[in-house]
Amino acid sequence: MEVNIPKTSAVMASLLRADFTTLWRNRRSVVMVLLVPMIIVFSWKALVATAGGAFVLSNSITLGLVAVGLMGYTNSIARDRDKGVFQRLRVSPLPLWTIMASRLLIQLSLIILLTIVVFISGYQLDHITISAGGYALTLLAAIIGGAVYLSLGQVIVGRIKNPETVNSTARLIYFGFIMVGMFGELGVLGDKFKKAVDWTPYGTVKTILAGSLEPMKWNNNTNVALLLTLGYTIVFATLGIKWFKWDSK
Amino acid sequence: MNAPQQNILEVDNLNVYYGTFKAVNNVSFNVLQGEIFGLLGPNGAGKTSTLSAVEGLLKQHSGTVTVAGYNTLEKPLYARAAMGVQLQATSFQPELNVAEILKLYAGIYGINLTEEKLHKMLLEINLADAETKRFGQLSGGQQQRVSLAITTIHDPKLVLLDEPTSGLDPQSRRQLWTRIEAIREKGNGVLLTTHSMEEAEAVCDRISIIDHGRIIATGTPQSLIDKHRDDPEVIAVSRRGKITLEDVFIALTGLEVRA
Repeated sequence: MEVNIPKTSAVMASLLRADFTTLWRNRRSVVMVLLVPMIIVFSWKALVATAGGAFVLSNSITLGLVAVGLMGYTNSIARDRDKGVFQRLRVSPLPLWTIMASRLLIQLSLIILLTIVVFISGYQLDHITISAGGYALTLLAAIIGGAVYLSLGQVIVGRIKNPETVNSTARLIYFGFIMVGMFGELGVLGDKFKKAVDWTPYGTVKTILAGSLEPMKWNNNTNVALLLTLGYTIVFATLGIKWFKWDSK
Repeated sequence: MNAPQQNILEVDNLNVYYGTFKAVNNVSFNVLQGEIFGLLGPNGAGKTSTLSAVEGLLKQHSGTVTVAGYNTLEKPLYARAAMGVQLQATSFQPELNVAEILKLYAGIYGINLTEEKLHKMLLEINLADAETKRFGQLSGGQQQRVSLAITTIHDPKLVLLDEPTSGLDPQSRRQLWTRIEAIREKGNGVLLTTHSMEEAEAVCDRISIIDHGRIIATGTPQSLIDKHRDDPEVIAVSRRGKITLEDVFIALTGLEVRA
């Protein structure tokens, strides 16, 4: 009895269309994700002259990436798993990786959109200008940085099944990153704390973003931050994939 | 009813564990093309676990499942392409409307669903007016019709239905039975799980009674009644002297209420 299986490209196209539609219908939460970085850009206007445009933009983008990974991706995975959406997809003739790949590509598009919005806000509100190479490199760095938070989100949904608990845990960690990251970066909590924050997932992502915005200032410190960022992604992704269960039972 | 043909599903010595608990114990049965086969059992008997192993949602500890000649462990994508599945509790992305859900699954199953075909499909399931409604906004009967439409969108050789009429009103249940019979008339096989005797007798060509993870009886509903008609246990539970499939079922599985 001959049976044909559909092409993976056709399957991906269908999944992407559905996931983009879902994102569009949730555009209010997308706006919220974009709003926080814009608020940072606006409220830190005074810091542009003292700390530099790269400092402000890199922190804004980092906070936006944290929101995308921890709030958007994590909550949608937890919710759909709890509702049984994945179960229905799993009994279809598609490779399981396509389900997550489609979701991750959607988040990737959101990361690119977020970065561009911060660029535009930085230019319009704070008159921050970056070289063309800087814009391109920062887009790439944002994708690399976003991967850290997406994989951290994967750890959360891997470890926790209840969607409400996932939501509250993600919010706690997000809040923690805002407080520790922002106040740490501003030196409010002291120099030692600032140095410690530099090696956290917040700090390393912020460092590679700052280095990308001003490529001429890329140094060994930035190289180490890049390696650490990649390391964090690999560790979180490995644990997140290992722990992840497709159903919530 | 068309004469059944070759096996579309073969389950051989299937064993499924949840930790140390053996939920499915050496279960073997087959479903023929052009046949509606029912898996009948009380709550916790192992019906859904058996079905989940066939669907590929659960990995069996041992035993084989072959769908349309494809082993579900060795060629999972081919096996899944040969079957259409309606889960007990199906849900879709809440943001998508009926038309978008149908298009999603048409794409996943490799079906080119033009607007004309989509409209025709919606007319067939009496949901032409609900095209732009979200799945959650539909009534129970409407949701079942959408689920069944997706299950059969690619004209699968084997259709798996997990308690398909659960929670439906009598009219919706009768309509669904008609649709299930239409799948059989096309020459495809149907495996459904149920704990409704009425459904088993009304729709199924053959049934297996499963309890505590084991198959305890297999046959047509009438043959099971005839075989156990004179059993003392069956006579003891019968009401008003007429032996029904429910009497046979209760005699074989016990009177104890299951959680």
